[in-house]
Amino acid sequence: MASNSEEGESSADYETMMSTSDVELLKRAWRNEKAAPEILQYEGALVQRAKEQIELVEETIDDYVENGIDPLVVSLYQMDLDRTQFLLRSYLRVRLLKIEKFMFHNLKSEEAERQLSEQEKVFATRCADDLAKHFEESVLLKLPENYQSVLKQSLISEVDDMVPQPHLDTFVVCKSKNFVSLNLYEEGESPETVEMERGDLYFIRYKIVKGAIESGQIDLI
Amino acid sequence: MYGRKGYQLVKDFASGEKGQLKPFNSKLFDETIEECDQNHHLIQSLIRKMQQEGLDVQNNRNADHYGALIHHLSLIRNKRCLMAYVYNRAEIVRDLAWRVGLELLDLPSDIQGKLTTLEKDYFKNHSVALKSYMGKVGIELNVDMVPPKDPYIKVRILDDIDEGIVLSDKTTNFARHSMHFLKRTDAEPYIARGQMKELTD
Repeated sequence: MASNSEEGESSADYETMMSTSDVELLKRAWRNEKAAPEILQYEGALVQRAKEQIELVEETIDDYVENGIDPLVVSLYQMDLDRTQFLLRSYLRVRLLKIEKFMFHNLKSEEAERQLSEQEKVFATRCADDLAKHFEESVLLKLPENYQSVLKQSLISEVDDMVPQPHLDTFVVCKSKNFVSLNLYEEGESPETVEMERGDLYFIRYKIVKGAIESGQIDLI
Repeated sequence: MYGRKGYQLVKDFASGEKGQLKPFNSKLFDETIEECDQNHHLIQSLIRKMQQEGLDVQNNRNADHYGALIHHLSLIRNKRCLMAYVYNRAEIVRDLAWRVGLELLDLPSDIQGKLTTLEKDYFKNHSVALKSYMGKVGIELNVDMVPPKDPYIKVRILDDIDEGIVLSDKTTNFARHSMHFLKRTDAEPYIARGQMKELTD
């Protein structure tokens, strides 16, 4: 039994070590971003490190090619590099697609705007300006004066009722990394909770696990 | 029936294949706009009538008030339909920028023919925004669209590609129907434009 638990511990150590390597972190960020209905916090430091590491491997490969190292070894490195590059590109791409989809919402809601990197903010602003211009020229300028707003149905609307928002009620598949207990309903509605053990797989509304994903206790898959 | 034009417009879009553009339905589009104008005129004349009768427009709930309300709702519905039509087409336009290429000339001519002048402008503006983001981040994002399995793929040339293709590691003669074993990243832009086809076993 003793040896068993020891083995368990060392494999857990190995797991934590593996799960904290930058590639794993990037994979995690990418998976969460892909599965979440809204835009998540930008992993600026991680992206920076991934970029540096990619450059490093690129240089190494160039060196290998110059020094005539076995082409098989080079192509293995190249494959690994391709995968990491795909991850990074796809991560940034998924975010841009979400920005394109919810551009007006992202600029309107402070919470969403905080999640964006500086360049993404610039992109979102340009996107929204371009689309608003396109809307105006195609439709809005041809409508009666009181109905020309991009964000409101008409002048008498009190809130912006033409802005598409992410559906936070969407169901997502997630896996918990630790024991977590979550409120199934919003505060005050009903005290029912759900308890997840480590490694449990759940199919659940995004809104409920949102906080736990942000704090890193739960991963989306 | 009020509001039907807008509904037909949206239906016209939805009847197309997903992700594929149809020619811009400017006839229906203009008719919808016209209906909006009619609605607006009728709202104004109803309000004027109430004012002439000396009624309080804000709080009076007579037949004319509800008449105006119906026109208002029809107008809003048509506006939403018009916006949805333009928005969904704009979504496809953005998708083209991602999947096919960031230059208008990269788009196949039959697709270019389906875009309105305004949509072409939107495509250009959006491409510039994308390019400037990629430039600042220093990473090209419109390549590598599918997860890599193998760094090399087999392709067949579908089109006469007369311009010299720059490959990172070699140059060859790319005659039509010839087959090549290329780096995936090199071949991807040509596959997107339909000039090459990936051969899978």
